[in-house]
Formats: sequence, structure tokens, C-alpha cells
Amino acid sequence: MLGFHEQMVSELVEADGVTVLAAGLGLTKVLASLLRLHVQEKSDELVLLLSTSDEQRQALREELQDQDATAALPLEINNEYTSLERMQCYAKGGVFFITSRILIVDMLNERVPLSKVAGVVVNNAHRLSESCAEAFIVRLFRHANKVGFVRAFSDKPQAMVSGFSKTERVMKSLFVKRLYLWPRFHLSVSHALEEAPPEVVDIRMPLTSAMAGIQNAIIEVMDACLKELRKTNKVDVEDLTVDNGLFKSFDEIVRRQLDPMWHTVGWKTKQLVGDLKTLRKLSEYLLRYDAVTFLKYLDTLRASEGVRSVWIFANPTHKIFELTKRRVYQLIRTDGTRIGQGKITQSGRGRGNPKWKSSKKIHETDRGVELEVVVEEMPKWKVLREVLEEIEEERQGLKPEGSQNAWGEGGAAVLVACKDDRMCLQLQDVLARGPQKLMQDEWTKYLLSKAELHGMRTRNKRKPAGYRGVSVTGRGGSRVPWEGEGNQSWVQSEQRQEQDAIMAAAAEVASLDREVINVGEDISHTRGLRARGRGRGRSKARDATTQAGPKKGRGAVRGRGISCAKEDTLTSSGKCNIEVTESVIENQDNLNVGINNPNPQVPDMDGLMNANGDMGLEEEQRKNKPIPPVHFYALESEQRILEVVRPVYVVVYDPDMSFVREMEVYKSENPGRHLKVYFLFYEDSTEGRKFEASIRRENSAFENLIRQKASMMIPVDQDGRMLDATPPKQSATGVNLNAVTRKAGGRKQVEKQMQVVVDMREFGSSLPCVLHQQGIKILPVTLEVGDYILSPDICVERKSIADLFSSFSSGRLYHQAETMSRYYRLPVLLIEFSQDKSFSFQSANDVGDEIAPSNIVSKLSLLVLHFPRLRIVWSRSLHATADIFVTLKANQDEPDLDRAMRVGVPTEDGLIEGDLRAENYNTSAIELLRRLPGVTDANYRSLMDECKSLAEVALLPAERLAEVMGGKQPARMLRDFLDAKCPILA
Amino acid sequence: SWIQSGQARNAIIVSRRQQGNPVLKHIRNVRWVFGDIVPDYLLGQTTCALYLSLRYHLLHPDYLYFRIRELQKSFRLRVVLCHIDVEDVIKPLHEVTKTALLHDCSLLCAWSLEECGRYLETVKMYENKPADNIQERTDNDYLSRLTGALTSVRHVNRTDVVTLGSTFGTLAAIMGASMEELARCPGIGERKVKRLYDAFHEPFRRTT
Repeated sequence: MLGFHEQMVSELVEADGVTVLAAGLGLTKVLASLLRLHVQEKSDELVLLLSTSDEQRQALREELQDQDATAALPLEINNEYTSLERMQCYAKGGVFFITSRILIVDMLNERVPLSKVAGVVVNNAHRLSESCAEAFIVRLFRHANKVGFVRAFSDKPQAMVSGFSKTERVMKSLFVKRLYLWPRFHLSVSHALEEAPPEVVDIRMPLTSAMAGIQNAIIEVMDACLKELRKTNKVDVEDLTVDNGLFKSFDEIVRRQLDPMWHTVGWKTKQLVGDLKTLRKLSEYLLRYDAVTFLKYLDTLRASEGVRSVWIFANPTHKIFELTKRRVYQLIRTDGTRIGQGKITQSGRGRGNPKWKSSKKIHETDRGVELEVVVEEMPKWKVLREVLEEIEEERQGLKPEGSQNAWGEGGAAVLVACKDDRMCLQLQDVLARGPQKLMQDEWTKYLLSKAELHGMRTRNKRKPAGYRGVSVTGRGGSRVPWEGEGNQSWVQSEQRQEQDAIMAAAAEVASLDREVINVGEDISHTRGLRARGRGRGRSKARDATTQAGPKKGRGAVRGRGISCAKEDTLTSSGKCNIEVTESVIENQDNLNVGINNPNPQVPDMDGLMNANGDMGLEEEQRKNKPIPPVHFYALESEQRILEVVRPVYVVVYDPDMSFVREMEVYKSENPGRHLKVYFLFYEDSTEGRKFEASIRRENSAFENLIRQKASMMIPVDQDGRMLDATPPKQSATGVNLNAVTRKAGGRKQVEKQMQVVVDMREFGSSLPCVLHQQGIKILPVTLEVGDYILSPDICVERKSIADLFSSFSSGRLYHQAETMSRYYRLPVLLIEFSQDKSFSFQSANDVGDEIAPSNIVSKLSLLVLHFPRLRIVWSRSLHATADIFVTLKANQDEPDLDRAMRVGVPTEDGLIEGDLRAENYNTSAIELLRRLPGVTDANYRSLMDECKSLAEVALLPAERLAEVMGGKQPARMLRDFLDAKCPILA
Repeated sequence: SWIQSGQARNAIIVSRRQQGNPVLKHIRNVRWVFGDIVPDYLLGQTTCALYLSLRYHLLHPDYLYFRIRELQKSFRLRVVLCHIDVEDVIKPLHEVTKTALLHDCSLLCAWSLEECGRYLETVKMYENKPADNIQERTDNDYLSRLTGALTSVRHVNRTDVVTLGSTFGTLAAIMGASMEELARCPGIGERKVKRLYDAFHEPFRRTT
């Protein structure tokens, strides 16, 4: 905890408010110490913490333990608790992490003793809106409890300024009057952090020329797409710059402008928006994925992008594909001339990139083309290695002077931070096995998948007459056929030649692949062993280790980034693993030589010697310069890695603003510790641009917030602590709801609160909240039929526009209309438009000349024809819906809760569920299951009874499936589908 | 009667009240003839429609109610075709919705004359059409079925499906993949990995 952390806590304790702090400044620390105030009190009061992600909760628990090892950890209330257990928890009191949907339902069912709630803490305040679940909760809470506190946090200032007076609205919906701002440039923050800053080494390296070429081409295509988008005249031109296009928020900018008319914009505009997103990802992946993986990704993209895709047919796109291939292989004529123009000059750094030119022609064809494997390494790999070597030298040099303790426990730990787990694994491989081997492996895998695909295609094709395909018999004895060239009269196109050369190489590799595959599996197996303790097992493992001993043990288990185990602390089994890996590598050396060699039967001695010699030498060099043991950390996983690993050296492989702040905070909290940070940047790349822009954007967001704060108008009673706070009785949109008075003939009626039964799943939407604002009593239950039951006769199925389209095409709407009509006299389909989006489906131009079956008009027409009793309500907005509900309920009896719950529930197996049905089911698994061939309404339940999960279903043999599914035919359909070989489209 | 006669059976019968309604210009895919009928449009033996412009409704708020009352109970499907031709829709649409709903009419909204015409054409044209088009359909090629299945996991897209398919080979293998293997697929980030893994391995029923 630093000084400014304590200030944050004390100002919030003094007066409720929303605290917005810069990313990475230690939100977790502040939250933890705030919660600790209540943990210590040991009263039976409740503190409810809302809107936290899994990662945030985990980090918070750890932080709480760090601050006070004896503190009781907050209880996490989720779907694992029954309503009874929850009530017991509430009665006991304490600090709870709780899912908003569960809490709302409990509050509405009056299970929460609101008077005993000391206060509510809301995290991620930037996600709030007036009608979201959290706002609903705070309103219910404030209505019943005038004393308790409401405190909220956000560390995404950019998100707090998006949209019209967002912050003001957030504050209003939270019933708070204060806004506290903590930018990085806040005086007490910058003082604290800049007192003893970490030592920083900035390393910038150029992209290889091919990468630079690809990056330029991507930007060129983006620019072209943006120009097209401008032509549509639908978007504000000012925001349409390539610089903006590199950010995720670009989608938001464009969508916010297009949303009001999204259903009226043409397909081309939509396609362009989608394309820009694809391109942005591509520019990111270019820097993250190695050459072969990037090629593979492009192949996949090409296969999956529709024919309407604009970017794929743009001119510079060709360059992207061409250069991407060039980074991996080149075609040369047998006479040695390269095919294709643009030669690729290798980047000048260091030893340059390796080339493996096969000593013999890989495949002799009459056209004389062969494949030269280039496989470019990522420039950062080499630099990373060098940096680590340098660190190791420094570590060794310093060691004798200070004892171990100078570094703190565990010696001078080294941390490498990169974007995600995938990168962690790959970098670990790069360091352990060398970049060349890694790239060769990737290339081999790539070829194998090509070979497999090709084999499949040929198998699927009928044998043409005169087929004289060459087939290579692998050592495993299986035949890998590939298309012979004699059977077709073809165009001698370069593409074709290239295809053939790849296929030839692939066939060669395939003939060797048996062992390679086995070896590959070994590797991933050992890797799996070493990486144990990640992910799901985490929390359990933590419990075990906290008992066993303090920090050291925990670090090993928790550091989700995999620590590269080569240290003295290593157990014997660990050593064993490494040996295995190394022997595997040796094996592979031989194999790889074989791969380069076109003819494995007659080993080319020269080639073998050369390759072996080269590799040996390099291996030696590497061994000469040792590298320290390294912890890898995936930035995405949002762990408290610095506190756990306590590194002395950090290599930031992927620059990230928030992580930079975390390091600053860490250093200030441990001023005595040494911390040296290396930043690895690609020069003139989108990466650097993005990093700098992210800081600029955050600062300007704060400046904006400071201005907003100065001019904010806040009503005195915004905190809702005044005594009279009955909700105003009026319509949500100002329409005249006079139905009631008409019936009563002006006579004053006995005020009776209206009731609506609402399906549990609807609490993801804001409508229940708005209905409640209208003074309607909400009865949350699980409904099999309909979303809202307004009366014994009226059942409403609510569809947002996106839902409407998707449930038309999935057929779900038809089914729902059918069941509603079966059980209710007045089945209603509510089509709910969004307030800030267009109120129409299509523009007049889009109606077209002919009746198209796919048009929404056709589908709605068909629906009314088949369900003449179905009533359709077209609602402009949430609030309009609320008014319509009130009107419809006039003159109707209140809904019968028990009946509503029973309707449509299959009774033969007594499936009347307690509440929270949706919480009790793995809905996406069930949805997936039901979409599989052979699975029907009749048999999916028995499949669920037989198997616990989809993974188990996938393991069931056909005979067993036949028993469970009640028939051989559906079972075979399912089994065949599960085992069908996926056609690779690339 | 004359409505059943062959000449009129395949045409929309239009009430003479509708003479001069520009919507008529946009009925092109189906023939239409004037006839003496109570509703504005006769779209089938037991299907009729009333046309209402919201702007007109603002001037004559009771018009719709009286027109519906005239129809009596002789139609199986009674459509109120509402042309949204004003900017401020909330109040008039609220009233129209209420009237239609309480008097057993199906309300269809259209935003242009073209769309109004298209609704009339389509309802007539689809008079005897089965509901296949809006019922659950199965595309039979492998990839669309696989896509259909895997995209039921949130945020998984077509490209991801191809990636998963080509990496693991079969659906069974995808379902059996470890978190780490999933994470190794390009383009599939941490969240997606977790969602996929949970869909495959979390039990169908979370509690017993």
C-alpha cells in the first residue's frame, strides 16, 4: 500500500462515491483494504461486492491474504448455493462476492435482510447503465436502507467518457454524489511512483523487410477499406483514420455511429466494418505469431472469409499473402532463378535468418520447380535470448558480493511478460530448443496438415482414367497418396507449380511423419506435465499450498505463466522431464535432416554432415552462454505476478500500459529492491504506435473527466437517503395510461400493486428493472414457456432485433410461438427495438423487387399466417414496452405464479425445477448437444442423463449410443458426425 | 360467390376505399382487383388486412377501432398493417398496438410504401405455404453443421470453427482437447478457450 492508496480508501470511507483510477495503479489493493475494514469488524453485517470478474476475485483474495494472513476470505456466492443455503449465508453476515443476477432474484424474493447490509461495493463501474442489474440492485438496496454505503470503482477512464455524460449517469444510477479521480499524473501518484523508479532499458529493433512489407500492405488495405467506408456517407469522416483503426475502440466508434441505422445500411458497409476488424487482428497477429503460424492463419482466413469480403480482393492483399509465404518458403527453378518478382532481402541483424536449401531437388517435375525453405524467425526471439544472456552475466557478476538475501527469497528472479499463454509456451520453446528447431517443427506440422488434406481430397475424388498417382509408402506401412500429375492437362500457372511443390514436399514429410508425430506427441505430453497447475486446478492447488507453507510454494503453483524449470529447486522428476525433451530434440535433428533430404532411402551424406555440423555448433554456442531460469507471464491472465515472483529483471515482450504501472507501483512499494526492466519494441510498427496512443488516450480521458466533474450538476437528494423515496407513478414514456380510470368510472380504486412473472433468464435484460421502476412487482421464476407472464391469459416472448433474426433462422421462434399458443389464450411476440438504434428493419431500397424468402417481411408474414392468434407488439424502446405492459394488464387478473411455473414443463419425469434453472444447467453445452445430427427433442435428455458432459458423449461407442438414444440410426448419425474428418479448406 | 371464382382466387381483392392509396403501386408480384369487401384487402379465403397510416391515425384516433368492429368474426387472420410514417411514434403506436391487441388483430409494421406493398404480396403469396422457412432447418454439409454446433458457444466464429476443425481433425477430438491444446490455436484467446472447455467438460446439469 502506498500513500495514495490510503488516501483513496479514506476519502471513500468519508463519503460515498465513484473512484476512477488509471489502469494498473492497484485497484485490487484499494479494494482489498476497503473490504478488510469490514472483515475485521466481525459483526453480522453484510457487505456485497458486485460486478467482479473471476480474475479480479482471485487477485483480490490473494491481496487480502497478503495484507492480513489471518483475515477471513469473502464468500463467493454463485449458482452452487441453493436458495436456502444463500439465506443462511445472508443471516450470518460477512463480505460476499455475489453474482448480480442471483442477488436481484434474492432481493425481489425478499431473501436478503436489506436492513443488515452495511453497504454495496461495485467494481467495473464503467459497465453500468441506468437499467443494468447493478443499478437495479442499488435502487432496491437504497429503497430499503437509507444508511448503508455505496462505493464504486473503475480503472477504465476511457470507458467512463464514452457516450453522453456517462459518468454523471453512472453516479445517478448508483445514488452517489462524489466522483474521485486518480490519474497517473495526479501529484501524489507521480510523486510516489517517481521517487525510486525502476531502471529501464528500451530496446528497439526493426521488423524484417517481409514483415514490414506485410504491415504496410495491411495498412494500405485498411486505408482502402476506410476510403470505401467514407464513400457510404454514413460515418463521420474525421474518426476514420488508420491510426484509429488499429484500436479495438474503433469498432465502437463506427458502431455507435452506424447503430441507429444498422438495419438499414447495406451489406457492403457491414462487410467493410467487419473487414476492418479482421485487418486489425491481422496486424496484431503479424507481430505475435511466428511466420508459419501466421501463414496458417491466413490460409484459414482465406477459407472462411465469404465471397463478399472486400479486403480479400483488394490489391495490396495479394502482397500480404505473397510476402507471408515468402517468410516461409520460396520457389526456385531448377536452374536456380527465383520465381516471382519481389526478392526478399533478409534483415541485416545478427547472423541473419537460417535457410535450409534442400541439397537435392525436393521433387523432380518436368517443370523444374523446387521449394526452398526459408522460415523466418521473429526478430524479437534473438533479442530476447541476448537480453537474457546479458541478464545472466549480470546476475553472475553480482552474486558473490551480496548474499542470496540481497535479492530476497528465490534469488534474482527473471520475468518475461507477453500477451497470452500461447506466446508464453512458444517463447519457452524458443529458449529451450532454439528458434530454428521450433520453426522447423512448425513447418513440418504445416506440411503434414497439407499432406493430410491432400490425401483426403484425392481419396474423395473419383479416380480419373489414366490415373498414375505416385504414392509413398511410409514406414508405418500406410499409403499416403497424392495426386499424380499425368492425369490432367493443366495450365502451367505459377500457382499450380507452387501447389505441386508444396504437395511434393508434404508427401515427403508425410512419409516420415509417423515418428515425427510420435515425437511431437511426446513433447506436448511432457510439456503438459510441466505446465500442470494452470487454469482450473488453480484454486484448489492454492488451498493446499497455503496450508503447506508460505509464499514460495504458492508462487510455483499460481504463476500461471509457466516457469521454465531448470533451477536447483527442481525436483528429480522435473529433471527427468527435461532429459526426455532433450533426447527428443536429438531425435528430431536426424529427422529434420531427413526432411530436407528428398530421398530418405539413400541418405545424402553431405547434407547430413552439414546439417549436423551447423546445429552442433550452434548448440555449443548456446550452451556457452547460459540464460537464467525464467518465469513467463501472460498479461491477459491478470495475475498478481509481481508480488508472487518478486522479479529483479523483467523483460516486457509485449508492451502494455497497465503492466508498466503495476511495475512502478511494485517498485515504489519495495524501494530497496532492485528492478530492471527491458522493453522490446519493434521499430516503426503498429505495436509502438498503439502503446503510445494508449497512454495519450487515457490522459485525455482523465482531462475530460476533470472538466466534467467541474461542471456537474448533482441534486442534493441524489444519494436517495431522504426519507420519502416512493417511485413516481407515471408512465415511462409520457403516454396516457388511462385504462384504469376508465374502468373505475373515476372512482378511487384500492391501490393494488401490479405483478408480472418474469423468467429468470430475462434478468440479463434491463426490462425487469424498468418495470420495477414503474412500480410493478416482479416475481422472478423459471419459465419453460414465455419470458413475461402478465396475466393468466397473456404470455409474452420478448425479442430484441438481433434475437428476432437469429431465432427466426434457428427455428426457435416458431417453436416458441407454438408452445405459447398451446398454453395461453393471448400469446404475444414482443419485438423490441433499441432506443439508440433505428426503428425499422430495412430502407425502402432494400425491400427489393421480388419476394425473397430470407427477407424479414417474408418470415414475419409466414409467422402470422401460421399463428393467427399470435399478437405482435412493436416497441420503440424498453420504456415503451413497460408502458404497453401496464396497459395490457389493465382489466386483467394478476398472473398465477404456480401455474406459470408449471406450464410447459414435462411432468413425466417430475421436472418442476426449483428456481435458477438456467443457473443449474450448462446451457451452451445443451444447446450444442441439441444441434448435433441424430440428437432430437426426444433423446437429448437421456443423453444428458447418461453422460455428464459433452466430452463424455464424444467417447461413447456407437452401440452404447444406440441404447441411450433409442435407435441405431440416430446413434450412427451422431457417432459418424463426431468422428468425421474435418475437411481442411485451406 | 364471386370471390371464389377462378379469376379472383389468385388475386388480392382490394376495397374501393383504397382507391388512390399509393401502396397499390407497390403490389407487383401478385395481381390485384377491386371488389366490394368490408376489409381493405382480402388476402385469402379467411385472411384480411386493414391498412392504417400512423399519420392518419393521429388525425382520427377512433378510425381503427370502428374498422375492426366492422370486420366481425368472419376471418381467421386479421392483419392490421401499420405504415410508420411519422417521426414521433411512441404515443400513436402505443394506441394502435393496444387497439389491435385487444381486438384480436395481428399488427404488422412497415416503414415505407414498398414494405407495405411487400407485406400484402407476401401474405397473399404465402397463403398455403408450409412453415419450413422459419422452422428448424438442417444444412447437410459437414462444415455448416459443425459451425452450427460450435457457434452455440458464445463468441466462437466461423474462422475459429475452421481452425479447430483443421487442428484437431474431428469433433470428438475437439471436445477432448485440453485447455492448453485449445490455447495453441491461432485466433482463439483465453476467454474463448475457457468457454469452449467449459462447454465440453462442465456437466450438463450443474447440481444433482
